[in-house]
Amino acid sequence: MIDTIDALLEILSAPFVQRAILGAFLVAIVASTSGTFLVFRGLSFMTSGVAHAALGGAALGLFLQHSGILPWFDPILGALLFSVLVALITGYAGEKGIAEKMEVAVGVSFALSMSIAVLLMYYIPPTQVPQIWGYLIGDILLLNDLDLLLLAETAAILLFLTVLFNKEFVYVSVDMDGATAHGLNTRAYHYLMLITSALAIAFATKAVGAILVYAIMVAPAAASNELIHSVRGVLFSVFVIALLSEMLGLLASFTIQASPSAIAGIIAALSYVIALQIRHFRDRTTDTEIPDSHEIEDLFTIMENGGSEGVHHH
Amino acid sequence: MSEFSLIEAHDLAVRYPDGELALYNVNFRISGPTFMAIIGPNGSGKSTLLKTALGMLKPVRGTMRVLGYDTVTEKKYIRREIRYVPQRDRIQLTVPMKVKDIVLMGRLLKKRPPRFASSKDKDLARQALRKVNMDELWNRPFMELSGGQRQRVLVARALASEGSILMLDEPLAGTDAESQSLIVEVLGEYHRENEVSVVMVTHDLNPIHTFVRNVLLLKNTLIGVGTPCDMMDLELLVKVYGPSAKVVEYAGHRYCVTHDVGVDRHD
Repeated sequence: MIDTIDALLEILSAPFVQRAILGAFLVAIVASTSGTFLVFRGLSFMTSGVAHAALGGAALGLFLQHSGILPWFDPILGALLFSVLVALITGYAGEKGIAEKMEVAVGVSFALSMSIAVLLMYYIPPTQVPQIWGYLIGDILLLNDLDLLLLAETAAILLFLTVLFNKEFVYVSVDMDGATAHGLNTRAYHYLMLITSALAIAFATKAVGAILVYAIMVAPAAASNELIHSVRGVLFSVFVIALLSEMLGLLASFTIQASPSAIAGIIAALSYVIALQIRHFRDRTTDTEIPDSHEIEDLFTIMENGGSEGVHHH
Repeated sequence: MSEFSLIEAHDLAVRYPDGELALYNVNFRISGPTFMAIIGPNGSGKSTLLKTALGMLKPVRGTMRVLGYDTVTEKKYIRREIRYVPQRDRIQLTVPMKVKDIVLMGRLLKKRPPRFASSKDKDLARQALRKVNMDELWNRPFMELSGGQRQRVLVARALASEGSILMLDEPLAGTDAESQSLIVEVLGEYHRENEVSVVMVTHDLNPIHTFVRNVLLLKNTLIGVGTPCDMMDLELLVKVYGPSAKVVEYAGHRYCVTHDVGVDRHD
């Protein structure tokens, strides 16, 4: 027992582990403050859309650097630019508040940026191509100070916006027309939410990697939304599920040879499956009783007699 | 109580988002405060007229004014005075809203961020829910309500809010009889007691015809404007709804039979 605790303490004293824990904490904040609202808006697909669009942007950045057109153009700038572009296209398609149109727009801009990425890869020296992924795909065990700083800033901005505007984001999701008619500047909040979410996804992907971001942004929010009946409750629950999945992922990676992101992703996804099961069970137990055959026979008798004899009891 | 121009349109033409002409050559002026109904068959431009009045659609020709404000250039002044009840299926059920959260929207949307609900806001929200017999469901998830109950909560949201015009888009479509009569009576009473104008889009004039003072009959242009009795005219109704339309007289009231179902969308 003491040996295990000693081993654990030794692991915890390693700087890269401490960074990973801090990173997990920050990603849980991003999931809670951004992922929740995306799921509310029916935009869970936007996470993978933006992450792939960032890939196209990074390719553009590398191309501009290597072709000498814009030598100062860092690939991460391209990634952020394309992320915002996805948010703008999605936002434009969904100005009337219809989630299905936004999902289509995500799909189209996703395809567009992937096509641009593949097109540009042809013009980038082959040795540089793996670098496109390198600019985008982080690893929670390999976080450096800059990654952590960017992630911390992203989390702080999202937390601030959520505290200030959570009602507006909710109102835009629930009833865009009604909110507009009552005088809310719905268009501004609509774009604010999509653009900050897109930037958050891009930064988080760069820091901790795409797999972890996909899993943590969507599954905990979807799971919580199945079971919890208040916005604040969902925000809190997403944070807890996300953090728990990541911590278990890290713990597992120290004991067995496995990627912490993959383990965290599996646990987060499982949380959704379990939530669906609980929801299903709950719905079944609260269903209204089905009338038994006697009652139905009675009903037929009443109908045949034209209802003249009234209701009889049995 | 002095009369003022509530809604007026001059040579108004508006297109649907798909480019089709929804309204053309619409001219009218309605004085307030009043209880008015906008009626007409499916696809006749009723909701479009309402959305134009709210500044959510721009006319392709002509102008529209609400309370004297132009709906394009001065819409923010109009929206201060509006309480709006959208078609029920426009409410997204993906957000875990409780009944109280929906009703409080009416209060909080008229405030500035961070829009905290004061005890006064909560009191007014409860009172509004009591008017539509829903105050016991204060903490119930909105998603779990029946269609008629949801509609009543949305009406309560408008009652709890502030502003001199209540605009409702098909509040009676697809609701149970109990909810229908409750909503109609509450709106009539609220209009009488508070000098608030009610503007209702509906495919069915019958449930409200004893409350309504002005009726606009639309079929992509203005077919008729007047009192409900003026509009319960067989010739007019046949012109709009086709030869199957009938006017029935029963217990001193006229009713129209139009074979029309209501809700239509043009997204």
